[in-house]
Parts: sequence; C-alpha cells; structure tokens
Amino acid sequence: MDDELERVLRGLEKAAEFVKTYRFEMTEEYLGLLARLEAMPQNQSGADKSHVWPGLQAYRNSFKNVRLLPRKP
Amino acid sequence: MNDPFAPLGRALATRAVRYLLIGVSGANFYTHPAASRFVTDDYDLFLPLDSANLVQAWAACDDAGLELWLTDDPLDRPRDRWLADQVVARRALTRASGPNELLVDFTLVMKGFEFETAWKEHRVFRVEDADIPTARLTHIVMSKQAAGRPKDQLFLTTHQDALEQLLKKPDLG
Repeated sequence: MDDELERVLRGLEKAAEFVKTYRFEMTEEYLGLLARLEAMPQNQSGADKSHVWPGLQAYRNSFKNVRLLPRKP
Repeated sequence: MNDPFAPLGRALATRAVRYLLIGVSGANFYTHPAASRFVTDDYDLFLPLDSANLVQAWAACDDAGLELWLTDDPLDRPRDRWLADQVVARRALTRASGPNELLVDFTLVMKGFEFETAWKEHRVFRVEDADIPTARLTHIVMSKQAAGRPKDQLFLTTHQDALEQLLKKPDLG
C-alpha cells in the first residue's frame, strides 16, 4: 500500500476511535455565548429568516462543479 | 430561490398545528450575517403527544403536496385519529418528503424536554410569508448534549467554536 495512503487511513482510524470516547462538556462560557446570540435583535420573534435556506443552498451549489485534480508528481 | 419548507409552514399554520422547529435547522435560524451556518438535510419538528394535532400535521403535508413515510414505507391511509394514537403511543417518527430534496421529520421526542417546557420559551421566525415556531437555541443545544450521539457531539464542538469566533469580533461586542 502507498505510504501516504496508509498514513491517511491510520489517521482516520485514530479519529474514529477518538469520536467513540469524546464527550462534549457544556460550559458556562458556551451558555453565555448562546445567551448573547439569543439576545441579538435579529434573533427575536418576528425576525425574517428567509435568507437562511438560500444561503445554505448557495454553499451546497458551490461544490457541484468541484473536480479532483491529479496530484502533481 | 424559495425555501422549500415555507409551503409546509403555511399549511401547518392554517391548520393551527402546534410544533417547534428544533435540531440543526432550528439552530441555523439563530444567526448573525457574519455567522457560520450548519449544513443539514432535514427539518426536525417537535410535536406534543397529541393525536389530533398529529392528524392535522399529516393533513398539512397533504395540503403542501408532500409524501408521508413511516420508516421506509408510505404512511397508511386513512391517516386518522386511530393511526395517530398508535404512532403517539410508540413515540414513532413520521417523515415527509417533497420537492427540492425537502425532508421533514415529525418527532414526538426532544431529548431532555417536554413539549410544553420548550413551547413556553419558543420564538416565531418568519420565512417568506410563513411563521415558523422555533425552540430556544439554548434548548436545542441542551437537547443535543442530552442525546449525546456522535453527530451531536460534533455539532456542539463546531457550534461553540463558531460562536467564539463570531462573538469576539469587535463590532459585535
């Protein structure tokens, strides 16, 4: 097997093992960030969120024409 | 480009269906123009354990021209109170699908929250001409932590990082 491919596969295996044991810890700092975002005027009832889906769709579309370039020697 | 969820949002409102948008789609509504958003393939709607309400939600899907599914099979007809009673008793999830790859999950469970608790603090956002009741961001995040699936852990880690980056910008104080 190609050395680099083997290295990448080992990295993926390590990442998969890490995910199994990782546990996100809720912190006061994160809760504070959430409270600040919730308090913003654009996040109160009545706010227009019509821009959210088109923004995500544009992001998805940006990948439609992606092609894999051959690796340079 | 029109949001494919808006027609269903209008139909749900017309039928006075009680629900909350939760999950990543709900979190994405708590935005700032400079904020990151998170790609998701579906909308998660949290409904109370109320069969009559669920029947109306299914009818709203018909009104909006969506297909309804129970696991991998089309949801049986008649989609009546008896069928809704069975779904509610099992806390089963029904899914609607429609144009523009729209996927909507009707869930009767929000980990860590009763419906009325989340409802008390919900907000109503506007998408085109539809009002979308949305759970509080803090509740969405706490529910994801309680669920604890790997994809939730990944979301929480990434979301916290995105908020830290966003909110330390000087103009956001």
